[in-house]
This record gives sequence, structure tokens and C-alpha cells, in this order.
Amino acid sequence: MFPLRGRGLWVAATLSRQHLPSARLSGDSAAPRSPHFDVVVVGGGHAGTEAAAAAARCGSRTLLLTHRVDTIGQMSCNPSFGGIGKGHLMREVDALDGLCSRICDQSGVHYKVLNRRKGPAVWGLRAQIDRKLYKQNMQKEILNTPLLTVQEGAVEDLILSEPEPGHTGKCRVSGVVLVDGSTVHAESVILTTGTFLRGMVVIGLEMHPAGRLGDQPSVGLAQTLEKLGFVVGRLKTGTPPRIAKESIDFSILNKQTPDNPSVPFSFLNETVWIKPEDQLPCHLTHTNPRVDAIILENLHLNSHVKETTKGPRYCPSIESKVLRFPNRVHQVWLEPEGMDSDLIYPQGLSVTLPAELQEKMITCIRGLEKAKMMQPGYGVQYDYLDPRQITPSLETRLVQRLFFAGQINGTTGYEEAAAQGVIAGVNASLRINCKPPFIVSRTEGYIGVLIDDLTTLGASEPYRMFTSRAEFRLSLRPDNADSRLTFRGYKEAGCVSQQRYDRAAWMKSSLEEGIAVLKSIECSSTKWKKLVPQASISTSRSVSVRALDVLKYEEVDMELLAKAVPDPLKKYTECRELAERLKIEASYESILLYQLQEIKEVQRDEALQLPEDLDYLGIKDVSLSHEVREKLHLSRPQTIGAASRVPGVTPAAIVNLLKFVKMVHRRQAVENGSSPDDPHLTDTGKFQEL
Amino acid sequence: MWRKLRSLAAWGPRRLCTAPGATIFALSSGHGRCGVAVIRTSGPSSLKALQSLTAPRALPRPRRASLRLLSDPRSGAPLDRALVLWFPGPRSFTGEDCAEFHVHGGPAVVNGVLEALGGVPGLRPAEAGEFTRRAFAHGKLSLPEVEGLADLIHAETEAQRRQALRQLDGELGQLSRGWAETLTKALAHVEAYIDFAEDDNLEEGVLEQADREVQALELALGMHLQDARRGQRLRSGAHVVVAGPPNAGKSSLVNLLSQKPVSIVSSEPGTTRDVLETPVDLAGFPALLSDTAGLREGVGPVEQEGVRRAWERLEQADLVLAVLDVTDLAAPTSRDFLDAVVAPLACREPKGSSPHLLLVLNKCDLLPSEGPCPRPGPYPYLLLSCLTGAGLDGLLEALKKDLAVLCGNPSTGPPLLTRARHRHHLQHCLDALGHYRQAGDLALAAEALRIARRHLTQLTGGGGSEEILDVIFRDFCVGK
Repeated sequence: MFPLRGRGLWVAATLSRQHLPSARLSGDSAAPRSPHFDVVVVGGGHAGTEAAAAAARCGSRTLLLTHRVDTIGQMSCNPSFGGIGKGHLMREVDALDGLCSRICDQSGVHYKVLNRRKGPAVWGLRAQIDRKLYKQNMQKEILNTPLLTVQEGAVEDLILSEPEPGHTGKCRVSGVVLVDGSTVHAESVILTTGTFLRGMVVIGLEMHPAGRLGDQPSVGLAQTLEKLGFVVGRLKTGTPPRIAKESIDFSILNKQTPDNPSVPFSFLNETVWIKPEDQLPCHLTHTNPRVDAIILENLHLNSHVKETTKGPRYCPSIESKVLRFPNRVHQVWLEPEGMDSDLIYPQGLSVTLPAELQEKMITCIRGLEKAKMMQPGYGVQYDYLDPRQITPSLETRLVQRLFFAGQINGTTGYEEAAAQGVIAGVNASLRINCKPPFIVSRTEGYIGVLIDDLTTLGASEPYRMFTSRAEFRLSLRPDNADSRLTFRGYKEAGCVSQQRYDRAAWMKSSLEEGIAVLKSIECSSTKWKKLVPQASISTSRSVSVRALDVLKYEEVDMELLAKAVPDPLKKYTECRELAERLKIEASYESILLYQLQEIKEVQRDEALQLPEDLDYLGIKDVSLSHEVREKLHLSRPQTIGAASRVPGVTPAAIVNLLKFVKMVHRRQAVENGSSPDDPHLTDTGKFQEL
Repeated sequence: MWRKLRSLAAWGPRRLCTAPGATIFALSSGHGRCGVAVIRTSGPSSLKALQSLTAPRALPRPRRASLRLLSDPRSGAPLDRALVLWFPGPRSFTGEDCAEFHVHGGPAVVNGVLEALGGVPGLRPAEAGEFTRRAFAHGKLSLPEVEGLADLIHAETEAQRRQALRQLDGELGQLSRGWAETLTKALAHVEAYIDFAEDDNLEEGVLEQADREVQALELALGMHLQDARRGQRLRSGAHVVVAGPPNAGKSSLVNLLSQKPVSIVSSEPGTTRDVLETPVDLAGFPALLSDTAGLREGVGPVEQEGVRRAWERLEQADLVLAVLDVTDLAAPTSRDFLDAVVAPLACREPKGSSPHLLLVLNKCDLLPSEGPCPRPGPYPYLLLSCLTGAGLDGLLEALKKDLAVLCGNPSTGPPLLTRARHRHHLQHCLDALGHYRQAGDLALAAEALRIARRHLTQLTGGGGSEEILDVIFRDFCVGK
């Protein structure tokens, strides 16, 4: 499929020709000089592909460097995308025109929305994905992205140069050195190395260097980063064994069928590529005391579990489940790996026992009595860099124009990686063009929550998204990610296509119009009761009730309401998504009014920028306790809002910081000869109300 | 499924004015006793606050000091005669709409006004430094001013911290921490149910357990807030209602106790036709003394209305001073009064919520010097002569005993909620718990718990989503 791969370095993007002659790659007759790109992305995983595609969408000539082109878009762990919180991230990635949602709509084999009964704010779009299809579709997408070039190669070192004045950082990255000694020059570099930084794969007591089973780790790059002064930490993760499909007795297990109809991930898709009846089922089985016994008897053979490398508070492996919640039965989901795959992924059975014990353990489980293990589960330990060393644009503070995204920042999960990838790609591109960074606030999206948590609090365990992390959960819903992010992505970042922008704009104006119409229709409760007898409308008080209020009742939807008042409501039921979103907006109307006030307050604080190069330990103009200085020094909040979220920073310290901000602005204003009015206190107006 | 949508209208905007963007108020002069105390509000609802405390008088002209009678908009109880100022934004201290109340500096008055403001929808007590932050945000402070204010805010934060520590050391602190713990756990379990229930196997009944905990918490908070009225009474005065049949000498008693002619006294039955109120100091306790119309089948419509109001006032009383003419105990009005008012109050539960009762037999100077004193039935009573003052000492002694119980003894009783802040946050926590029950979906229900917890952690400290995750990961086996 990739004829160029074996022969040489370059797999050129074919569609880019009319925009950008790939002159530098092949046609140039000049002496072999090092190629030059706007943005170089190191790594072809979920962060790397999104970063490279986003940078290219923003108009930067981009190079994606990966160990092997055929692993681009590889799903190294679970064969699924999305879920609760993660599905929210995917909708936001899609709103910024990212790839993974669209690719998932072309590659899924079992689509299901979780939390259907718990309210639209916490619906979790999820799908089992065909690994092979996903990889194929992702590679097709990446290799056909204008301005994007792909090259195989392992990066060993960074090329550094003198720092640019006016920015923090002790040096500037200007390219990368490959393992073969060749160089690629770049204006910005994004590292998305996943678990490859000094990665070690662990099975039982065996441990060998690898970023993923069968792939070489990056050691030189890790050393370079450490030498530059980055604080490095170590995390661990794991993956379960794979089981031969035909060796499982599904007939005695609980079957889970996909949704009908399937709900697509992307705002651009009305439906997914496959009919519900053609999709594959999942099955549920459980562990039992015999599984516990095997794990507990063999702890001495399991170095991954014993090691002190930080694992999460939650239970990633079956060992941690058994150790921390003994005498319990644990769920194991048997998930298909693809349409024509003969492998099953036992979700919940991540394990690092020696291989033969893994097989023994598996066969204790109901339905798996005769199971054949095709590949053992294993653990991975890897370096990550304390994310408090990067800014919310994901650029490092130490090295200018160097960006980090994905597991290197201490996160876990495809969706978390993809979300960071988009932001890093956009900002690497904006940085070159001297444009302000594109930052998503916590009030605007889960992407903002993710990055704000990482950059102000750091990561002491692999960071995974949960909806409980979002303060404004009722506003940050899967349904409205486009209203929150697409317009900003189009105008400020330039990463959104015209087609998507137009669609989001149409939806926004239709929603606004629909809500206005629903507010304008008023009847007495008695009349509504007659019009919509299905609704439990209270007629005890004779007040005038808006159609919007009737729509709030659980048993009422737009369809029902439009039957009662066809004119003018009929037309709002023609688009299924519009009708559904009107219903959601109605349900949350009152509480959203309340949340909007809070959001404005937070945004006001976030509009107050703190100087990037502030030396918290040294500054004399601010009276701050030593303890507070240390904390601010570690987190380096960029705004007063972020500073107030750093644990241990007192209100008095915040006021002192405010004073400092004001002083700095004064000084700057005097220097520029402009009026000393506060420029930093206008409403950002970033939040879209719908 | 498990929660039927009753009415989302419960989330209507008028109940949602407690967001941080709302209007704030605080005592901006020093705490403690001082000649004049200044209470300030800032934010869009300042106008509403000013209007509702000074109603029915017109709004003062901007930036002009005007004398107004402040009263509690909920109870109508007069609070103080005060200078008020109205500063429409942006020409104000913070740049927002501001109101200032210059009141007499006693703690009772200050607390009364703070509490009244806390009851105005859209208002909440300011956090430390919040006025300054707002002033700063609107470009109202010069650098030297910020300099000085930063120190002040530091001091304020420190004082608030010390105060919080003192309170948290006490019974209230223990209670609040206990509530916060319960609430955090309940919220964590609801959050776990949202984030993990579909993929991981949480135990059965996680939500039901959370429901039960929230319900118990609602009950405990509700009882505590009711109980905390004792603290309130210390400030605004216990509500003492003087009642009895016509011409028993109720008005004479009121005048005697308040040491001023509050009510017109005459020998004509039915002289007092309306409720007359006067704040008095009774045996060292502040009290609000109400004189009422004599209870009888009314003669004219005006007196009938007076009688209706007297009954209404009896419902609200903390302490009823039942007055009878000792020489007229056999009269039908006296007998009716004993049956209708005294009997139900006298046999109240010792710890019940019904008001205390003191039965006073007036006009004892008219009794023959010899012979047995006529008895009003099986009830304990005090003899008094409003004319000669005989028996007054005994009455004051009895009042003191009852008022001490009513107002709570700060040194022995449970901690009094003396700060509007506490009441505000507890009340809003309770309101939010009510929304939890009514919420249409689980995300809305969780939001109600989040709001409730935010109010509680304003008192106890802590909060934040990491604590929630700690509980989730401690209590449940989740993750993949």
C-alpha cells in the first residue's frame, strides 16, 4: 500500500501539489541540503496525526516523522473510541475539524451512546472500532492532506539555536536530528512520542526496552530533554491479552447490541458507514475467585505491579482490582477488534503476569474455558514530562517553539491525545505566524479542562478525562461542541473548513430562531394540557406557559410539540439534530442562565494575563509568601484565573498579583505612549451562548 | 426512570441569583461595637436591595445622604433609622451599582441589616477582598490605593480565617464538616454513577444510598436552621406578644414593660384595635413587644380586623404574655381566652416548637386584702398590678428565665449562627438539596449537589473535583 516506504524516506502528500510544489522534497536540484518545514511533528499516534493535520489545515507546511508509516493511526490498546467524557473530547476535536471523529464514523463496528438515561450533558458517544479500518482510513486521510508530508525516521536529538528575544525560554528549537544523522529544519517542532520515551515493556519478570510491543523506544530524545532541564517523571500503563474469537463460547454470555440508529461522532455526518444490523455485538463475562487466586499466588512473578512507578488511583489492571477490591467479581467486556479480525479484546483484563499464567487465568473465566491467547497482555513504563512545564498553548517554557502533546504530558487515552494534538498543531502554526495562541478555556470545553488541569496542577497519575472534572458540565455538552469551538477555530485558528463553518453557522442561527419562536408561543396551562395531553402539565395555576417550558417536560419532544402547534414549529422538526438540540436547550435553559453568570466571572479572571516571564521567586514588587511563590513558580499560571486555581494561593496573594498586573500594564502603556486604560478587562466574549 | 420530572420550573431564574456574578454585601467598617457602621453592596441588585430595605420611601438621589427607616423586607420588622446612599455605576467605589447603609453600630442592628440583605434575592455575602477585586476590575483603584487595600484584604482574610477556625473548632464546625463529608460522599457516588456505571460494575443501590443521604442531610440542615433562630432572636429580639380578653390591661402592661406610653390606655373595652410593636430591652434581652386587640367576638369591622391580627400575631409569637383581669376571671371572655389560648399553650411539649407562655393576672390591687385569690384553672400564674407595680419584679424574673432559654445562652448552648454568611450558605445549600430531589435528569441532580456542596465548603473550606475523584476511586473499583 505504501510503495515508497521501503525505497526511501519520503512519502509525499499527493494532493498538496497545486498548493505547494513539493519542490524541497524532490525537484530541487540544489546540493543535498537539509529539508525545511514550518512544523515538524514527531510521532504518528493519535496526538501526532491530529497535530500534523491541524498544522497543515492552518496553512503550515508540515512534516510528520514516524518510526514506521504503517503504524500511523495504530490503536495500540483498546479497540474503541469515545465514552463518557472522552466522547465529549471527540466532539470538540471534531468541532475544530480534527480527524478522529470522522475516521471513527467510517471505521466503527458497534456504535453505542452511553448514559442515555442520565441527561444529554453526560451522554457518552462510543464505538468499537475496526483497528485495521481505522488505520487504513487514517493513513488515507493523512497521506491526502494538503501541505502535509510524511517521512519515516526516528528522532534522536533536537537542533537548538539562540532564543528569540521577547519570549521566555533559554533556547529555540530549529529542527530535529534523525537516528541516521540527517537533519530536518523546522520553525516549530511538536513531540508526540507517546510511551516511546525510554519505554520499557514488562511481562512477568521480563522487561525489555520498547515503546510498544515490537517497536524500539526513543532513548536519545529522552536524554536530550533531560539535559535541557525538563523535569521527567515515570508512568505506567498496560494492555490486556488478545484472545482468539473462535475459541470463545459466546452462547453462554450476556450480549450487548449496538444502538439503532447509530449516532455519528462527527457534526458533519448524518449517519455512520455501517447499518446497525451489520454491526458486531459485545459480550460480558465476569472474573471469579479462581482468577483472584492466580493473581495473588503469583505476585512475586509480576514486577510491573510491584514497581513503585506511579499508577493511577483508579484500577487500570486486573491485578490492582483484585488487590484493592478483594473478594469481588469484576466485569470483563469481550470486544471485537474488527469486522474480519479473529481477535477479541477482553476489556478489564489488563495484566502483566508471565504469559503462561495469563492463559491459565483466562481459562478460569466463564465463556473463556477453551480460550486461546493470541498475544499476552503487557505493561509499559515510560517517561513523561511534568506538564506544568508547558503553557496552555502546549509550548514548552524552556525551549521556544517546542510543543508537547499526548502521553508525553502525562495523559492516557486516544481522545485525550487527539485533543492535545489539535491544540498543539494549531498553536505551532500560529506561533510561526506571530499570531496569538489559541487557548480553549475551561468554560468553553473539555479540551480546556484537560489542558488547564495539566498545566496548573500537573499529573501525578495518567490523566484521564471524566465529566466530574468539568465545573460547567451542563454547558459543555456533546451536542453543542460546534457552537462552542467551531467559530473560534475558524476565525482565530484557521483550522476549520468553510463547509464546517457554514454548517455550524446554520445550526446556530436555526437554534436561536427556534428558541425565540418557542419563547414567543404562549398559552394557558389548560390549553397546553389539551394540546399536549401526553405531558403532565400542572393546571393548578392559571398562568401563561411558553412552548419552551412545555418542551422541558421529559415526555415532550419537538415532534410532539410540532403536532400540537404545526405552524410555526413543523419546520424545526425537519432536521433531526436541530429538533434534538432544541429539546436539550429547553431542558437546561434555566440552569444554563445561572451557569452563564459563573462562566462570565471565570472568564473575567482569565482575561487578566500574567506576564509569561514572571520570576515568582525573585520579584520584589509583589508581597507574596514564600510558600505561595514556590507554588506559583511551579505552576506558572498564565492568567489570574489559573492562579486562583492553584492550591494554596490565597485571595490576598491574588490581589497582590492583580496589583502587579496593573503596574505592568501601566508601565507598558507609558512606554508605548498609549492611554493607561486597562486593556485587560474587557469581556472576552469567547463563550458562545448556544 | 428513577426520577420523574416534576417541574423544571423549580429552576426558574428567580431562584438562581446566587451565582458569583451576583450582588455582594459586607460590613465595610470595622467589626464590633462602634458609633456608626457602614454596610455596602455592589452589583446589579444593589438598587433592589436599597429599595426593599427602605420601602415604601422613594429612592434617594444619587450620591446624596438621606435618612431612611430600614426594615426587614421579609418580616417588615424595623431595623434602624439610617443614612443611606445610592451610587449608580460606574460612578461608585467598585464601578458597579453600589448602595451604602450607615447604621448605628450595635451588633444587633448590623446583623439585622446584614441578614435582611442576605434575604434579598440576588445578594450574597462578599468573600474577602471581593469589593477591591471588583473595584480593580473596573479600573477604579489607583496603585497606592491597591497597595493599602492589599494589606487590608490580607488582614480581612486573616480575620476571616481566624474566625472560621474559631467557629470550626466549635460544635458548628463539627456539624458543618460532618455535613460536608456526607455531601461530598453523596456527590462522589452520583458522579461515579455518571462517569462509570455503564462500563464498570458499581455496586447495586449506589444512587438510592445517595438519595437517602441527601434526604437525611436535608432534614438535619432544616432542623439546624430552625434551631438557629435562637441566634437570630438575640439580634432582632424575641417576639413577645401580649394578649388577653378586652380590658384586661394589656396595653398598660406594654407601657409598663417598655417604660413609655406606647399604647393608649382607657377603661373602655376594645381601645387597642391594631397590633402595636415596640422594641424593648426585657431583663437584658432585646425583645419585640406587641400589644394586641382584646380577643372577643368583635363589635365593629375595625375591631374584628384587630382581633384577626391579634390571632395572627399569636401564631408568630416566641413568648405569649397572657393577661387576664384577676377580678373578672369568671366572665365569658376570660373563660373563652383561657380555653382558646392558654390551655393549648400550657400543655405544650417541653421541647416543642410552640411558644412559651406566661399567664399574668392583672389588677391584683383590686383584690380584697383577705380571702383566697381566685384561680384561673390549673395553670401557673403571676399576680401583677400595672397600676401599682406590684408583682413586676416577679414578672421580670420569669421573663428573664424564658428569654434566656429562647435566645440561647452563648456560653452553654449550641453555637449561635451569628453571621449572615453562615445562614446564607446553609440556606442555599438546603435549597439546592431540594432541587436535587426535583431534578429532571441525573446531570441536573448532580449539578444541584455541586451547588449545595459549594455553599457548604464556603464554610468548611475544601471542595474541588479532586476530592470527589479521591472518594470515587476509594469507594469503587473503576478504570480500565
